[in-house]
Amino acid sequence: MSHGPSASGGALARAPHAHDDTPHEPVFVGDRAKDLDAILLKYPTKMAALLPALWIVQEARGWVSEGGMAEVARVLDLTPAYVKGVVSFYTMYHQHPVGKYFVQVCTTTPCNVCGAEDVVNAFLQHTRCGELGATSADGRFTVIEVECLGACGFATPVMINSDFLESVTPDTVPDILAELT
Amino acid sequence: MGYPHQSHPREAVVLSKYFGDAEARTLAGWKARGGYQALEQALGMAPADIVTIVKDSGLRGRGGAGFPTGIKWSFMKPGDGKPHYLCCNADESEPGTFKDREIMRWTPHALVEGCAIGAYAIGAETAYIYIRGEFTEPLEWMNKAVKEAYAAGILGPNAMGTGKRVDVHVHKGAGAYICGEETALMNSLEGRRGNPRIKPPFPAVAGLFGKPTTINNVETLVAAAQIVKQGAAWYKQWGRADNPKSTGTKLFSVCGNIARPGNYEVPMGFPFKDFLWELCGGPLPGRTIKAVIPGGSSVPIITAEEAEGALMDYEGFVAAGTMLGSGGVIVFDDAQNMVKQIARLARFYAHESCAQCSQCREGTAWTTRILERIRDGQGTMEDLDTLLSIGESMTGKTICVLSDSCAVPVSSGIAKFRHEFEALIPKSRHRVAVSAGAA
Amino acid sequence: MTAPVAAPAGPKMITLTIEGRTVSVPEGTSILEASKLVGVLVPHYCYHPGLPVAGVCRMCLVEVEKAPKLAPACATSVMEGNVVHVHSPKALDARKGVLEMLLINHPLDCPICDQAGECELQDYTFQEGRADSRYQEPKRFNPVEDFGGDVLYVPNRCILCTRCVRFMDAVAEEPVLCVSERGDRAVISKFEGDDLTHAWAGNVVDLCPVGALLSKDFLNKARAWELDRAASICPNCTQGCNSVLEVRDNTVVRMKPRPNEDVNQFYLCDTGRLDYRWLNRPDRAEQPMVRMHDALDRVEWEAAIAAAAALITGAKVHVVAAPTLSNEALFLLERIITGQGGTGRFAVETGPEAPLAGVHDLSLRAERAANVRGAELLGFVKGDDPLAGLTSEHVLIVADHDVDRLDPVALRRAKALIVIGTALDAPLAHADVVLPIANMAEEEGSFTNLRGRVQRFFQAKAAPGMARPSWFVLADLAAACGAATPTWAPAEVFAQLARTHAHFDGMTWAGLGLKGALPASAEATA
Repeated sequence: MSHGPSASGGALARAPHAHDDTPHEPVFVGDRAKDLDAILLKYPTKMAALLPALWIVQEARGWVSEGGMAEVARVLDLTPAYVKGVVSFYTMYHQHPVGKYFVQVCTTTPCNVCGAEDVVNAFLQHTRCGELGATSADGRFTVIEVECLGACGFATPVMINSDFLESVTPDTVPDILAELT
Repeated sequence: MGYPHQSHPREAVVLSKYFGDAEARTLAGWKARGGYQALEQALGMAPADIVTIVKDSGLRGRGGAGFPTGIKWSFMKPGDGKPHYLCCNADESEPGTFKDREIMRWTPHALVEGCAIGAYAIGAETAYIYIRGEFTEPLEWMNKAVKEAYAAGILGPNAMGTGKRVDVHVHKGAGAYICGEETALMNSLEGRRGNPRIKPPFPAVAGLFGKPTTINNVETLVAAAQIVKQGAAWYKQWGRADNPKSTGTKLFSVCGNIARPGNYEVPMGFPFKDFLWELCGGPLPGRTIKAVIPGGSSVPIITAEEAEGALMDYEGFVAAGTMLGSGGVIVFDDAQNMVKQIARLARFYAHESCAQCSQCREGTAWTTRILERIRDGQGTMEDLDTLLSIGESMTGKTICVLSDSCAVPVSSGIAKFRHEFEALIPKSRHRVAVSAGAA
Repeated sequence: MTAPVAAPAGPKMITLTIEGRTVSVPEGTSILEASKLVGVLVPHYCYHPGLPVAGVCRMCLVEVEKAPKLAPACATSVMEGNVVHVHSPKALDARKGVLEMLLINHPLDCPICDQAGECELQDYTFQEGRADSRYQEPKRFNPVEDFGGDVLYVPNRCILCTRCVRFMDAVAEEPVLCVSERGDRAVISKFEGDDLTHAWAGNVVDLCPVGALLSKDFLNKARAWELDRAASICPNCTQGCNSVLEVRDNTVVRMKPRPNEDVNQFYLCDTGRLDYRWLNRPDRAEQPMVRMHDALDRVEWEAAIAAAAALITGAKVHVVAAPTLSNEALFLLERIITGQGGTGRFAVETGPEAPLAGVHDLSLRAERAANVRGAELLGFVKGDDPLAGLTSEHVLIVADHDVDRLDPVALRRAKALIVIGTALDAPLAHADVVLPIANMAEEEGSFTNLRGRVQRFFQAKAAPGMARPSWFVLADLAAACGAATPTWAPAEVFAQLARTHAHFDGMTWAGLGLKGALPASAEATA
């Protein structure tokens, strides 16, 4: 389903989940199945393990595919549609594949007044992503603007995958990228 | 100890004492700094007595609403035969606020201790710490601390050897500002969309998993632990003599166009002028401060002049026409265009609206579109009236206050910086004053 | 000052004033429901009495004196002494605000929308919305999506009230719909490959207060204001769901549920609602016919009744009556059987059951005819072979049963064949007398559902040609055979039935009303 103009649209509005025809390789086998069992012990309901289970899927596969949603639904006795509703609510779950390095630059007001937009542009330029939300031709980078990362005193905070960088400026972007393999 | 700057002599460093002190992060380091004495003490007390001490201290919720913590705890009826839950709200997402992040990064055991005490005080055996997913480093430290605490027998079925059960679990969010709203947080923890719930029922009656639940902010729980250890009177030493409603110390996060951004812990009632200029170093070189949002992005914007006269407590900020909120101070200098920044804030709320209430789902997006059009030089004078009018439609009419929060910077921004809006509206679109005689 | 309205007795009663009218309602009642009792409709979208309260559309905001904020009437319980204003300027303003918000991205395509004329967004906007829109930005656009089953989703018209999601979750207990994304990007969605094929999924179309969920079956068929509506009973299984037949140009174009708390709440299954085309079948028996020499000749009714009565008089009868006939028709047949001696039999088609999980005792029943219970109560014997026991001594009366489904060889055993039916089947050639009757949409009558509830249905369209209501034809025939005293209205037939059959004892035609009645014995034990 495509979306028309949206206030928070542009790059922030993600393309809805990608339809993926490749067969789903089960995630919850071996250690990951055990991890999930341990997580289930923390909660009185199976449903409460949904966010943690989705994290396991994303860590294993880099994104949450339809197959991943269906598998999570099966292991937690939910319906795939229910899981889809939850996945699409939370911005950190990727509903489509992203670059090897997923770069999120905070541009909300406190960082914005400190020049965060220049940091975004520096990332777009140096990663050759071209535009927000697009993955670079070499598949290495996807750059998005993210809403407040909660480190406003360290403008501009940037997340690259799970690494949290503080006080990034346009000048430091090339060095940051150079350290990524 | 301050972080990232050295602490200022005028700060009242209680909760932030070990910020920047890497050793305080470990169990051994925390114990060496007097850690877990408060929990040991608490577990030896009757829960009702803990509630009384916290009530007497005057501690109020540090997440934004400022509800008295002891009174909140007293809503939890002991011995009702139901499981009780404590949720620690570590979903810190209010733009401008980053104090809980530092508490968790530097003193994770302080929060474990606070949660354990809070849980015990409200008759809960289980506490969940809901940490926003973007806080990868705080998550790591909190997970480590909880693991250490279990290994040391501080948590578990026989907490600190008292035979009492206290479980603390860390729950990772996945990117949703609204999950910082307490009922949305509970829904999220239950594995649902983070939609705020209609109240009543209130969490103390039917909260997490439908059971009596208390939700407390990170800073609140950490402060409560200190209060249990050092007493209500000790805590009340801080605050204005003429305002007993705001007591203790408060962590303020400062960001934006300011010389020394960071976290500062000051007594309630501290003069905001001294805070901004003396502690935080005032504006950047060659700049002047134009506007301040003192309590996170959801509170009204005030001018630099209004800020200079404010006192930093719940009542002081209300007197200045704004609110203490979460204590996230956003400073704007004269290089900033207020229209652009207010539009950016509106966009934040439009992005974060859960989509439940009509006015919020549509109104936050509409507000953003109008503001961005004005910002791009395509606005009209009528747009300002429309903005205020739809802001009215969005205020006090929805399940939670996200909608209101979007309207706040718009209405306060137009009220205080109308000239900046008008400057962006092409002259041809200005309203022509019709002289009385013309009609 | 209006007199206080009495409300049903509850455990603890709360008295409050709504729009100047005082009402007492049980504790826990919402302001919205209490308002209904005093005849005040609080405009609303997301609230539906059959679904869990969501409180999200914010349309039902009302002013409660002394409350700091406007209260959502659906989610606010009444409090003693509340003074509620539904139409105060503050409440009206709030609703006007909501309506404006709901319309900013709406395509305003009422002229091509199936919901127009029965759309609550259209109605309330007309009633209390703004005349213009202040929205100048581009509108959001999402394409139409086929949700599977009978359901089409038009997201541009959707107001995200979530009634459909809540129905599938809490009532169907198969959450195949969800709200996807958030903020103004949110849409109702399903999982790729999981269609709305649940047996009761079609209800989401009725529940949708706007034109976002449409029935593919009804798509572009009629405008709501062109339809004539009649209260009916779904004829397609023994559950006896209350329904409304909607007719355009003497053609049934839609069957919708009619609320009945005790039978079907607010719902109708897809099998039931979509199986209405047979009510419009064109190949109908339109004129009474009598065999003259070797062919059936069209005759006047009097001649046909006389011919049938002549065949019956002095003979035993074997009646094959379909359980699709009304209690009244079956009763008159039973009179003839009693008068002449003989048997009455019926067969019933079956199919898989499909319960609606969230509603007690509501299911698409295996037996796919409305009056199986009525037929049994009136002495008809159910069996796979309705011709069992038929001999050459019998005059065979086939009433509303498809003659072509009967064994043609066995059929010939009968001394004579009287067909009382709606269709012009080929085997009618065997008949000695053909008496054309109206189908259930063309007459009034009553059915007895599987729990013994007797419920009336009303005439929705005209019968073709000279066809007459079944009770009319059979009342004439029974009178002509001397089996019953003449009757001139279904109410009179029912009165006779009530006098002679214990199950119907004490029931009256008027008393059945629109909701039906259970026998006194069942009421006592219920």
